[in-house]
Amino acid sequence: MTILNESGIPDVLPPLHAVGNLARRLGDALVVVAGTQAEAHLVQSLPAASSPNLYPAGHDPHVVFAILDPEDPPPQGSLASRIVESVAGMRNVNLVLLVAARTAEALGVDAAFEARLASRKLDLPVQMVDPEAPHEIPGTLSTDLDDRVVSALIELCPKRRTSDLVETSAPKRGGLLGGLLGLGRDTPEQGDSRPVVLMGGTPSPEAARGLAAELSRAGVEVAGAVPADGVADLPPLGEGTVVAVMDPNLATAAAAAERRGATVVKTLMPTGVDGTARFVQDVSEAAGAGTSEVVRARSAWEELGALRNRIRGKRIFFAGDTGFEVPLARFLADAGAVVLEVGAPRLDRRFLAAELQTLGPDVDVVVSPDHRGQANRIDEARPDLVVCSPGLRLPLVARGHLCRSTQDFVQAGLYGYGGARRILELLASTLRRAETLDSLSL
Amino acid sequence: MRLVHGVYEGPQSYGILRTAASIRGVHTVFRALPGEAYFPTLYGSRERTGELAPVTLSPLREQPDDSMAPGNVSRDLSGVLRRHPRAEIIVVARSEASLLSGEEAPSLPETGTRNPELVTFSWEAVGRKETEGAELALEDLVRVRGQDPPDRSPYPTVNLFGPPVLSPGAEAEYAEIERLLDLIGIEVNARVPLGADARDLRRLTRAWANLLLYREVGESATLYLQDEHGIPRVTTPMIGAAGTGAALRAVGQLCQLDPRSVQRTIWAELARTAKLPWYARLEPPETFENRKVAIFGDFTYPLGLGYALAREVGLEVVACGTYLTHLERDFFFHAHSFTEGAFAEDDPEAVAARIEAAKPDLIIGTHLEEGVAESLEVPFLPLCPPTADRPFVERPLMGYAGSTVLADLLDGALREKKRKPSGEAGIRWTDSALQEVAGVPSLLRGRARRLAEDRAREQGSGEVTREIFLESRS
Repeated sequence: MTILNESGIPDVLPPLHAVGNLARRLGDALVVVAGTQAEAHLVQSLPAASSPNLYPAGHDPHVVFAILDPEDPPPQGSLASRIVESVAGMRNVNLVLLVAARTAEALGVDAAFEARLASRKLDLPVQMVDPEAPHEIPGTLSTDLDDRVVSALIELCPKRRTSDLVETSAPKRGGLLGGLLGLGRDTPEQGDSRPVVLMGGTPSPEAARGLAAELSRAGVEVAGAVPADGVADLPPLGEGTVVAVMDPNLATAAAAAERRGATVVKTLMPTGVDGTARFVQDVSEAAGAGTSEVVRARSAWEELGALRNRIRGKRIFFAGDTGFEVPLARFLADAGAVVLEVGAPRLDRRFLAAELQTLGPDVDVVVSPDHRGQANRIDEARPDLVVCSPGLRLPLVARGHLCRSTQDFVQAGLYGYGGARRILELLASTLRRAETLDSLSL
Repeated sequence: MRLVHGVYEGPQSYGILRTAASIRGVHTVFRALPGEAYFPTLYGSRERTGELAPVTLSPLREQPDDSMAPGNVSRDLSGVLRRHPRAEIIVVARSEASLLSGEEAPSLPETGTRNPELVTFSWEAVGRKETEGAELALEDLVRVRGQDPPDRSPYPTVNLFGPPVLSPGAEAEYAEIERLLDLIGIEVNARVPLGADARDLRRLTRAWANLLLYREVGESATLYLQDEHGIPRVTTPMIGAAGTGAALRAVGQLCQLDPRSVQRTIWAELARTAKLPWYARLEPPETFENRKVAIFGDFTYPLGLGYALAREVGLEVVACGTYLTHLERDFFFHAHSFTEGAFAEDDPEAVAARIEAAKPDLIIGTHLEEGVAESLEVPFLPLCPPTADRPFVERPLMGYAGSTVLADLLDGALREKKRKPSGEAGIRWTDSALQEVAGVPSLLRGRARRLAEDRAREQGSGEVTREIFLESRS
């Protein structure tokens, strides 16, 4: 594996496109997007245009735009009172997410203050989310908003300690002690099972639930997931909790969980067979329920035999958009496909250390790739399939390449052994359809 | 500060990009945060030509001076010059975040051999909206290329000033008008902005007249050409048979054509192509009697459609609105010739309330009016931009062919209403449920009602109770 930094401009779907999807996923949240006309227009028009899988925010009552007037900056506290008014007109709102980007800040809105004020007035959690807050590592991923929202939700999780006061079972005390003393992977005591919180899975909650079931089967107590279906369902998260990160784009959220004292398991993402096996094994080890997934993984590989034959030797190019490309490429390379290039608009090497170590020797990772250069490389290499952003998809299809957007994979549910099957099926059906269409003489 | 559920227009940078991307040979350097650059994605998926948008992002980010990564405007500009050797005009547009950061507009680096024109806009401001941005950008582009103008062509020609790229059916509108002009013997000198070449902008003064199809974007450019170069303009919206005929006669006069020959062509077209007058005569008068229509959209389309529907078809236009609040006065002036219910409003919820209060039998609007049409259970035609659908075959609304398209659409919509019995059979609403519905913003009410009725059907209940309604909303 080689990592190359191209310092170009990758084609990435703007993170705000996900507002509609998030509002729908969270269910009981009101999302207020504060900014200029630009943010509102983006949130409203982008999803429908880019992928049928994305949920348009245009007609969603749970998405409201606060359009600031540059001539007349709002006095402090007025945004908060407008939020209070719009929550008053709605039911089933248990959480307000105030999405405020750089323009809001430049127009003199102190979003953190407004969020605190609104929270006090409403007696509801109001969280500020800045989709453009700079990361430690430069670059933008289309899934950045997801990362920020999960970080904000982590702040809302009850601390472990309070729930300990309610439940007085013996092993929990040991869990707390374990959390204080051993950080992570030291051999846990007998019967010292620590609760696991799954983090991620926003685009495909079904698949995330499947993975939770997989963990329970391995004897792990899954306390819940972030994001959950409602604020009330958020699991306790603090010292003694084991956090299992499912998505490769959640570096900020993982750091937030660590700050709260939770143990974040450093392992592979639960994508693909080996990824899921390592994930389940490492998470259950950290939770104190040692298990071996070797047998399960072997049988999963065997079950996928027929599908693997269909993609063996197929040449796949990942242009890079969501950040899910690295684990996907790792799995597909293991499954027999030839991965030509993995684009990574942002690559957090520390967070993805386990992934990068397992990436096959023939895979090249290109950090912040230049999308025009990529298009030329694709023309030269003529891969069997290009996985790219919606923006590149059409030009590449016009040049005669077979394309799928990364979003399609993410929405299909990447997690667990079932996810591995879904990924391969998605690829196989795409290739099959292309073959049928190619066989026509036009 | 306003709280809204939707917007009709994008920001000014989006308008600039639309105008610039319409003209071949113009490349735009867009100074913005990576998260603001959504135009290329929209362009790719709406236009479906397979071309990458002629836009290069110059990302706004903090980085050390010695970094060679994109982000330094002048370096990015040189890069664009190198990579796009055929670009004749380089436009620098700045996003809202870029304007708020207080950056200076960049100047073009010296290249020595080849110097495309660099266009920056001094009027960029954060609060300005898409249509104004598109209009001012077009004027500046025409001005920049206005030096050393060529003389009038020896035979009559006109410039078409129509909608920019990403307008529904824009190509088809230009094509239809060009076809009609060809019939009366006038050549099209240039289509501006969509379909123009950067070189065409130098040749605009060859035209004898400017035909303004889409005032929203072409207004100030044609005014400039009128004032500076004495090129007269025709501004009648070419929608419906009457509007088209009037515009063609006016153009014919400006081009010194024989009025009788123009009129003969118009009659031939009325006999062959234009079916809206036929439709109005063939359909029994009862179809239109007491039929009320509400129209909402930009400027040209609601005015043109309103006039055609009120005069040529005989529907009562109870409301006619525009979201272009900066054109409010002009809009009222024109709209008052066919309706009492003219309004200007750019909050979708207030628009929905206006339309609801007018109790129309047919709604013509943008895709944001779909909800209110659903909640009133009246037929809906999304004919005004912005619309969400993107058909592979574009149909014009302007010209005689456009009037036929309109006749077909009206026929479908007004018939549909007749077939449908009043009040959908089966599901009743309890009073308390109706009270709850009243609390939902009218823009979203249609969807809420439908979901609740679906839920009631699922549960096998013959009526929607308050509980069922609340369940369906959670």
